[in-house]
Amino acid sequence: MKRRQGWLFFIIFLLTLSVYLLINYPLQLGLDLQGGSQLTLQIIKEEGKVTRDELEAVNSVIDRRVNNLGVSESNLQTLGGDQLILELPGEQNPLVASRVLGKTALLEFRTQKEGTSTDLKTLQLQRFSIKELIEKYSSTEKSQYDDNFLKIIEGDLKVIEQELNYSSTSNDLFGKLIEIKKYINNEITNLFIKTDLSGKDLINAGRRQEQTNSNWEVLLTFSNSGGEKFAEITKSIAGTNQLLAIILDGESISEASVGNQFANTGITGGSATISGNFSAENARELEVQLKGGSLPLPIEIVETNTIGALLGSKNILKSLYAAISGLIFVGIFMIFNYRILGFVSVLSLVLYGFFNLALYSLIPVTLTLPGISGLILSIGMAVDANILIFERIREELYDGNTLTRSIDSGFQRANSSIIDGHITTLLSCFVLFLLGTNFVKGFAATLGIGVLISLFTSLNCSKTILRFFTTYQSLRQKNLYLPRNNFSN
Amino acid sequence: MKYNLELIKNKRKIIGFSTVLILLSLLGILYSTFNTSYKKPINLGMDFVGGNELRIERVCEEECSNFSPDSVLEKLRETSKNKNFLNNIKLQFQNNNKLISIRTPYLSIEESNNLINTLDNIVGPLNYESKDSRLIGPKLGKRLLINCVTSLLVSLFAISLYITIRFDKKYALFSLLALFHDLVIVFGLFSWLGIILSVEVNSLFAVSLLTIAGYSVNDTVVIFDRIRENLKSKKGGYNETIELSVNESFRRTTFTSITTLFPLLSIVLFGSYSLFWFSLALSLGIIVGSYSSILLAPSLLLKD
Repeated sequence: MKRRQGWLFFIIFLLTLSVYLLINYPLQLGLDLQGGSQLTLQIIKEEGKVTRDELEAVNSVIDRRVNNLGVSESNLQTLGGDQLILELPGEQNPLVASRVLGKTALLEFRTQKEGTSTDLKTLQLQRFSIKELIEKYSSTEKSQYDDNFLKIIEGDLKVIEQELNYSSTSNDLFGKLIEIKKYINNEITNLFIKTDLSGKDLINAGRRQEQTNSNWEVLLTFSNSGGEKFAEITKSIAGTNQLLAIILDGESISEASVGNQFANTGITGGSATISGNFSAENARELEVQLKGGSLPLPIEIVETNTIGALLGSKNILKSLYAAISGLIFVGIFMIFNYRILGFVSVLSLVLYGFFNLALYSLIPVTLTLPGISGLILSIGMAVDANILIFERIREELYDGNTLTRSIDSGFQRANSSIIDGHITTLLSCFVLFLLGTNFVKGFAATLGIGVLISLFTSLNCSKTILRFFTTYQSLRQKNLYLPRNNFSN
Repeated sequence: MKYNLELIKNKRKIIGFSTVLILLSLLGILYSTFNTSYKKPINLGMDFVGGNELRIERVCEEECSNFSPDSVLEKLRETSKNKNFLNNIKLQFQNNNKLISIRTPYLSIEESNNLINTLDNIVGPLNYESKDSRLIGPKLGKRLLINCVTSLLVSLFAISLYITIRFDKKYALFSLLALFHDLVIVFGLFSWLGIILSVEVNSLFAVSLLTIAGYSVNDTVVIFDRIRENLKSKKGGYNETIELSVNESFRRTTFTSITTLFPLLSIVLFGSYSLFWFSLALSLGIIVGSYSSILLAPSLLLKD
């Protein structure tokens, strides 16, 4: 008797603890329940596998960049050795993040090859004209493209193509413009020679508005050795016709001359400014990329998931309806068929629900839609064990055994098939959790936890509650445990 | 209440019925494999092949105005720069023209954003709070597919191993047969759904197959457990003991299936759209699984 009471107190203690946990540690909702964007990033490596160090490095760079973006509560996880999952709750436009993430932000400083001044000047002019054309094309409302407008653009493009001695292969006009722009950028970059100064020598980046006009510029601060390299480079080209180019991701952002007055020492002080007609937004993006450092390996966004906040809350509501109606159906069915025993199983189901949710907030499990369906499904499976036991109890009763004995041997005899049955489900969950994507993992985790807890509630809690009930004489009548239509058996 | 399923008498009918179901499923799988528009045993969704899926609601005063999908597509194509975009777009208006759902091949995030903006210009205003948009790259899709197939194979292997250790070989073989029977039928049914209604399967479908596998074996194991127990203790013929054991566990098996079906049907009825086919697959799997556990697997054990 004492041992039974001990279990009863233990269960009440667990219930209290669960309620406490649920109040103090609210459940974590997945993006499909609260709205936001999720991006899956693939690290690209041409040869070999991505090493753990490289993964960590990419992870930390992206982490820094995302933090600089100022999205609150963002979450970054690694997945499967070469993927990262970035969650941006509340952010419904993944474009913002993608602009910053996708770039390798490889910053280089290059000096001009000798004797290329004329070529460079021509290319710079062509770059200016193509930029103007692109601007004109993309700032015009699509509805206002008339034949005349298109002809002018096409004509101007032809002129540039002839000067470059290059003809584009793209099919549509915009594609042609972009292709030529890339070609020109490439040609310009080729006129410069790499130096040993790069983004690695940066310690900070900032931005400020230029004084003379409304454009923005980005300010670079080098490390000590970087500052020395910068001084060395500027010294070597000071007063010559050679220019210094700042190249970001293979595209020259600015080409500057170094005045003769730096011929002795170079530009010292360890800082430089990039000014290239930046808008406030562009300057900020560049700053974020540079501050985050350059990615050791390029990444590609392979999956995005965007869910509106309204849809998220609708999903919660729908799941709630499904869970509650499922519970009610099961409860009615059980009480109708098993009477007192059914009532016991409803009580242990309620306990099961509380323990489950409490464990989610403790572990913590992020609740997603598939996760909720795992939970709801495990309600059905939790009853499974109870039904096995109850059927056994009834058989014992039919055989003429006493209530207490029937209950005891009912639980005992159902044990082996319950455990067998649960293990096969657990095996599936385990495999799903190990091999599944994160979408699938949520389902596997909640179903697996559910199955484990249901072992405890159906084997232990049901037994304890049932024994507690049978201490009352009025609840010990056999007919309360048998189906109404044939307790005369 | 005693049940009296006459297994011995109906053995042929049961096995015949299952054979017909399996043949129908295989027919669907084969038809789908050789059908030029799928060329796969089952209609793979964008989870596995990559693509872009967007669902968004329009903001309408009372009734949403009627647009023909073709005219909207025409306008979308006019403004698009992406060649991919010219083919394979599916656009639908649902929910009294309120909900737009659109499927395209894989787009970049920029292109996808442009698509939404253009859509807003054509049929807007749109309610961005109701947006549900997914983009999956083709490479990732392929990886997901491989992943799903591997996890199915690995867990089937693990389950087989467990049963073989726990039971003797004959029982293990038949419970596995019942399991494959269930999986083939659910798979075949979704092949047919793919052919007839263009229903696509996603990674949740693979999850449902795995759950069905776990559940089906669970059901069969309980009945086999009972058969083994009765064979040890009761006198009477081998076949009669099996039939008796099935009848003894009939209530239990149908009841557990019903209690599992209740929550699943609640998800089908009230749950979120994205879980509809998933819970339907699970429900069907559980129904077929109960049938095979109660009737098929024990019938296979019967001696002639």
